[in-house]
This record gives sequence, structure tokens and C-alpha cells, in this order.
Amino acid sequence: MRVTVCFFSWFKDLAGCARTEATLPAASTVEELLRTLVVRFPELAPIERSALIAVGLDYQQRRHVLQDGDEVSLFPPVQGG
Amino acid sequence: MKRQLTITTEPIDEAALLARRSMSSGVGAAVYFVGVVRGIEDGARISGLDYEVFQRMVEHQMSLVFDDMAKRWPVESVRLVHRVGVVKVGEPSLWVEVTAPHRSEAFASCQWLIDELKRVAPIWKKAGGCDA
Repeated sequence: MRVTVCFFSWFKDLAGCARTEATLPAASTVEELLRTLVVRFPELAPIERSALIAVGLDYQQRRHVLQDGDEVSLFPPVQGG
Repeated sequence: MKRQLTITTEPIDEAALLARRSMSSGVGAAVYFVGVVRGIEDGARISGLDYEVFQRMVEHQMSLVFDDMAKRWPVESVRLVHRVGVVKVGEPSLWVEVTAPHRSEAFASCQWLIDELKRVAPIWKKAGGCDA
């Protein structure tokens, strides 16, 4: 399955892009996606454990099972207000 | 509960927002909060902040927050404006109005709302983006 990954804030600088695609085995979890991304983007390694994750517009845990076509967003702690 | 969320790059016009206040006859309290960009961030002097936003997710997450707020307090209305992009020191980046029958629920819900915004809204800031 394919998912879209969006990076926000300084994670864009680490990844070198704001958006990318990832191909994963069916029923992969967010955790498995993160491991794949760290291999592709080694600069993401330091933030792998602390990154916040959203699938679509909702926060999700690392055990969340992804579906084909999901949009996954990775970002640092939020700072609104 | 009436709710209005505005994400904008335009300067927050507080007078215009106040002029559009609407309260029914049973509502006696209106509480306001304005968040202003400080001149010091992480111990360093700055000229402003540059806010980045994941707007669709902010809209969705704040909709959930508003739903929760309506269950917790008898709030009549909430209006929240968050400015994004470059905001200079001294300028407001956040404006909040909560109206409710009495001051206790207006104050409590307003504080809770801002705490929730800071907890869940995907907005980030970095120093700079302005001329000194």
C-alpha cells in the first residue's frame, strides 16, 4: 500500500522535503512507517520517538494500523496560542 | 453553542471583533483573552514570530474542542482568532471571546479552551521573519 507523508515545522528541514510517498506492506503500523522513514531520512532518527503523528486530521498512536491512501503527518510538539 | 474559528494572516482587528459581539438576554458575561507576541523568546530578543499552521487539522481539532467545551459549560458562544504567518512583537496572535450566563463558567471555559488550543492545535512558531 502507499501512504503520503507530510512533514511540518523543522521536520521539513530534517527530511529535506515537506511531502513524500511511502510504500509499505498491507496492514503496516505507524511504527513500521517511522522505521522506514528513518532509513530513508537518517536525519529523522533523533525525533523518531518524540514526533507527534496524525493520520488524516486525527492524532494517532504508533500502533495505529495504516490503510492504503492514508495521509500521515509528522511534527514536533505544537506551539499554538 | 455558537462557535467561530478564524485562522488568518491578517492583523487581528480587536475593535471590529468587539463591535460584532452578540449576546442573548440571558447571558451576562463576556470574557476576552488576547495573546500578544513577546519581545523575548527562549531568552533571546526577537522582532517577531513566524507561525506555521496545518490548517485543516486545526479546524478539525478545534471543532472537537468546541464540542467538548459545550458539554462541560453552558457557554453561549465562542469566537477564536489565531493569526499565522509573521507577527511582530507587540501584536496579537490570538484573540478569544467566550460568552456565558455567568462569569464563573465564562472564565473557566475560556482558560480551558486556551489550554486545549495549546495542547492540540498543530501550529508552530519560530523567531524572526520581520525586519528588526
